[in-house]
Amino acid sequence: MSVADNNGSHGESGDDQVDSTPIAVLETVRRQGRVWGDLAAQYGVTNPDPPWKVTLEATCDVLAEGSCALPALERRWEEDELSKELYAEVPFPERQLLALAHSMIRRGLFDEKELARRIEDVHRRLTSV
Amino acid sequence: MPDKEDKQMSEKHDHGEHKAAPMVEEVSDFEILEMAVRELAIEKGLFSAEDHRRWTEYVHSLGPLPAARLVAKAWLDPEYKKLAVADGVKASLAVGVDWIKSPPTGFGTPSDYCNLRVLEDTPKLKHVVVCTLCSCYPRPILGQSPEWYRTPNYRRRLVRWPRQVLAEFGLQLSPDIEIRVADSNQKTRYMVLPVRPAGTEGWSEDKLAEIVTRDCLIGVAVPKPGVTSNAKRPIHPAVHPVHHHH
Repeated sequence: MSVADNNGSHGESGDDQVDSTPIAVLETVRRQGRVWGDLAAQYGVTNPDPPWKVTLEATCDVLAEGSCALPALERRWEEDELSKELYAEVPFPERQLLALAHSMIRRGLFDEKELARRIEDVHRRLTSV
Repeated sequence: MPDKEDKQMSEKHDHGEHKAAPMVEEVSDFEILEMAVRELAIEKGLFSAEDHRRWTEYVHSLGPLPAARLVAKAWLDPEYKKLAVADGVKASLAVGVDWIKSPPTGFGTPSDYCNLRVLEDTPKLKHVVVCTLCSCYPRPILGQSPEWYRTPNYRRRLVRWPRQVLAEFGLQLSPDIEIRVADSNQKTRYMVLPVRPAGTEGWSEDKLAEIVTRDCLIGVAVPKPGVTSNAKRPIHPAVHPVHHHH
């Protein structure tokens, strides 16, 4: 089955609009998170991409190719839709990350509370030393 | 304070000439979010940690060098050029890219469809690549797409006004040069085989490959002796941005 077929069945369900209502946990990241461009400038790092961009790409790939939980075409379409307004002012690839998390929550792949708890947990681990 | 500074200088000096590359000594909320999303996906069984590791390794290995080398080889070897234009996937093997077996799936991927078309420019014909639907890109041979390639602005406008958009990229083409826009789709990926520029006579494959930048391979630039990197591209916002309250 091609991605087009996947997308077609998605459209047939009538669910061809991504719910762009802001999600609180992602809004916090959007408002408070420091984007790579600012961090790189402050610390004199020349890499144009944050180190987590590769793992983000891999997550997108494996969600599409491995489990088919989130086909690439649908994810990109939703990213474009969300980027029109909600994440319009967020630079890339931070915008791609917010849109991915948004799409996953809206699909019920995990919920907002679970993500908020996990963010706290990761934060605690990364800042514990 | 002076004592402390002296000590720091001394410690630096003791480490000899080696200098660590600067690092961001701060954990950002975006970095945390990326990890949190990944960990939750693994916990929910959407993929395994091992699957993710293999994909990360694969994504990390991708870049534009194989495509640049394909072009350089084609410039030097007319038979190879014929093969590249006739069968891009087969020609990719000579530059170390196996469209079928390289991805972790072992049988290609829906995101990197195994049908590469190499579009040969001539002095009177210029090709340029876009994906109007999303951001399809020949990743196995060209790596990740640049940000501007993903923007609706480029995608919508290139197909309508290719000559104008190329001019915005700094590529002024005379009116007698035909422009063909190749729209990547679910089945086919494209890369451009530009015209070998004057002033490169006698160059080695390595030296030629250096001037075939990513932008030349997408078609928004042409190779020039002495130019070995992509120009910085402005990212145009949407034409009618919507401002929301924070």
